[in-house]
Amino acid sequence: MKILIADDSRVMRQIVVRTLRQAGFGDHDLIEAADGKEALDMATAQKPDLVISDWNMPHLTGIEVLRQLRAAGNNVKFGFVTSECTPEMKTAAEASGSAFFIVKPFTAERFDEVFAPILG
Amino acid sequence: MSVEVEVDESDLAEMVEQVWESYLDPEGVSPLIPTYDENQPSEVHSSVSITGSWTGHVVYASSRAAAQRAAAAFLAMELEEVSEEDISDTLGELANIVGGNVKAMLPPGAQLSLPQVNLSPEASARFPNTQRISGVYGVWEGEPVSISMWQSSTDNKEEGA
Repeated sequence: MKILIADDSRVMRQIVVRTLRQAGFGDHDLIEAADGKEALDMATAQKPDLVISDWNMPHLTGIEVLRQLRAAGNNVKFGFVTSECTPEMKTAAEASGSAFFIVKPFTAERFDEVFAPILG
Repeated sequence: MSVEVEVDESDLAEMVEQVWESYLDPEGVSPLIPTYDENQPSEVHSSVSITGSWTGHVVYASSRAAAQRAAAAFLAMELEEVSEEDISDTLGELANIVGGNVKAMLPPGAQLSLPQVNLSPEASARFPNTQRISGVYGVWEGEPVSISMWQSSTDNKEEGA
């Protein structure tokens, strides 16, 4: 599977990649986007099977990326890894078709719990 | 308008503990040891601003050595491999993580900024018209690290920094 990791923090992208490996998902094809606009472009052009996105990013926020993808008829599995987690954000994410919500800081166990059903 | 914020030192300490468990000390061998010294020195710092239901700043400050160690832990690198950019990105992410967790405890209607990093002492940071309302101060492997919250006393009024 191809997995797109979208986060404006290079450090956090590396931590997500490393945690995916620790959780046993390192064999998938991992690609990275450094802001919301790039995430939207890559999600459209490179057709990943899964998007793991930060919420707060320059140019487009994660929820805006998700909404634009859905508005364009793109139903890629999409979820958030974010340090912010308020009930309003969760509700907005679910209403837009988000599949999961992981709060930073996270562990490999949390990744396994969320991604095992998705990635097998 | 700012409200009385209900994020106290024990809440901050719990967030800090989670960051240490997840990223900085996953083996559980070098925790942040409290000093309760709010005047401890710092050499570098990062912050996020929160506006809305509460207005103020969440600040991560440490010695340069502690920041280098944090970057090495975040990026799974050797200490000597850590670059200035690694330190800067790591500090930004630390402020973002703690700030995001703080925001989640605030009443609805708070906005979180992208992180600002300043590779100079916290004392040189300018947060005009703010007062410190909470903080966790400690040493990590002998190096000072702190996380503090500064509330704006002028509701939503931006003063030139």
